[in-house]
Amino acid sequence: MEKLLIIIFGVILINNFVLARFLGLCPFLGVSREFKPSLSMGAAVIFVMTLASTCTWFIHRHLLIPYQVEFLQTIVFILVIAALVQFVEMVIQRVSPLLQRALGIYLPLITTNCAVLGVCLLNIKEGYSLLETIVHGAGAGIGFTLAILIMSGIRERLVLGRVPSCMQGFPISFIIACLMALSFFGFQGFFSH
Amino acid sequence: MGFLHEFIKGVWRENPTFRIVLGICPTLAISTTVINGVGMGLAATFVLLGSNLIISLIRNVIPDKIRIPAFIVVISTFVTIVDLFMAAYTPVLHEHLGIFIPLIVVNCIILGRAEAFASKSGVWMSIADALGMGAGFTLALTLISSIRELLGSGTLLGIHILPATYSPAVIMILPPGAFLTIGVLLGLFNHLSSRRAS
Amino acid sequence: MRELLKLTIILTIICSAAATALALVYNLTKDPIAYQKRLKKLKAIRAVQPDYDNEPDQDFIDLPMAENKKRDSGHIRFYITKKGGAFTGVVFTVSAAGYGGTLEIMLGVTPGGTITGVEVINHSETPGLGAKITEDSFCLQFKSKNLGNTKWALKKDGGEVDQITGATISPRAVVKALHKGLVFFHDHRGEILKEG
Repeated sequence: MEKLLIIIFGVILINNFVLARFLGLCPFLGVSREFKPSLSMGAAVIFVMTLASTCTWFIHRHLLIPYQVEFLQTIVFILVIAALVQFVEMVIQRVSPLLQRALGIYLPLITTNCAVLGVCLLNIKEGYSLLETIVHGAGAGIGFTLAILIMSGIRERLVLGRVPSCMQGFPISFIIACLMALSFFGFQGFFSH
Repeated sequence: MGFLHEFIKGVWRENPTFRIVLGICPTLAISTTVINGVGMGLAATFVLLGSNLIISLIRNVIPDKIRIPAFIVVISTFVTIVDLFMAAYTPVLHEHLGIFIPLIVVNCIILGRAEAFASKSGVWMSIADALGMGAGFTLALTLISSIRELLGSGTLLGIHILPATYSPAVIMILPPGAFLTIGVLLGLFNHLSSRRAS
Repeated sequence: MRELLKLTIILTIICSAAATALALVYNLTKDPIAYQKRLKKLKAIRAVQPDYDNEPDQDFIDLPMAENKKRDSGHIRFYITKKGGAFTGVVFTVSAAGYGGTLEIMLGVTPGGTITGVEVINHSETPGLGAKITEDSFCLQFKSKNLGNTKWALKKDGGEVDQITGATISPRAVVKALHKGLVFFHDHRGEILKEG
């Protein structure tokens, strides 16, 4: 139980996927202009990450290791993630038009998101059990959502400010990310005693 | 003439990092030393070259409906090849680059070039494009890691350049420093190119 | 239907070609990779306990940590070093919670339990501050220390171990880990040395 708490707090605050591990920067920068889309993106990411973590864990444990083909890990994982997202999209389309409208367009964007493949690879690298993998995957998504929500809040306010033209868009977003990363850095050492 | 033109395009006018802003994740994560930066750049260039080549060769045979999965299979094959070779022959670099080697497969630059260029162009031009984009990416990585290594550790390529009296700004090799470096550089490049345009 | 079949066949051909290429490369690089892993391990062992002529990575014993009797909390692997058939020492890894995450330290001791070398092999400490625990200036002081001749705490905590300017938690964690390791070795010395 303690280890699970450490994992989840670790991945949300201390080793935040976006601000400390540099994973998921493309959607982070691309979608964070407004609050509502950011929320939808965050929700989609949490969902895909948890599901993908679980599936890839099973595949690694019961397919790759027994057949000694761990070197196929990258290629199998990415194909599984892509297939999973396609499948999820189809299911959402049939089952819930409401969910489809909220998350729909963001799902395909997540397929080639380094954060999803990253969390799956990290789960294996850290040797997590199934429960730890699920917690880590969900936590990574929550950390991403936290970062993107904060970023969208700041960017919405920034529209009212005066940003030099050469800094508009990506440059100023990176500077904001720098300040956010700096403040999250304060969480280091959270667990030491 | 066409070859050279495609090559230079990737290095300057359509530099993947500073102009199109792709592949930022690995760029920021590993650019703490110049050696890591160059290593990653070369690994990505190899993958880009291989995948552009193969995809261009089979572009007429792949049905449109399955082109994305096909591209992904080709790209991840080359990524795994690079991963295995680096683990075998450059173990230190392999350890430093860590999960960002397999993450080359989702580097938007590579899938982007496959989709936008290699699937529509001849082999020779695709090679030029791959080399150009790869060179542009490597140069961008080298620039960013030089700044971060110099200011953050006082060294370049592991050699102490700045005098001992310089207290390294450790923050430069930490995440905030990465964001700061690329934010400032992007702003600078935007400014320079708008100057040129006017 | 025919189109679906065609698509599936083409995709299968591509995947098979990919898998074949990868299997070839894998076989090619399998041995060099295993060699590099072994080299890395032997290098770490030699850094903390250089006095041997056997192959410590083949000559080892695993002992359960048994800290928590309720669940299996893993094993510690003790690599035995020998010269000319006689024991020269034991090398093992200890871990502790550092500032940024778990610290893993490789520790070499004589059969009597005196430290011959210390090397931090894994850490997430802050570069320039806590990460200085990897430097010789910090690690070398542990040579020749054992349970009997040293007070195992930092100087500022009333002990005899030098700390690092600007970082307390990281060195403290190292001291704790080393002490834990030495105690464990002392308690299980008989089992460790009778093997091999």
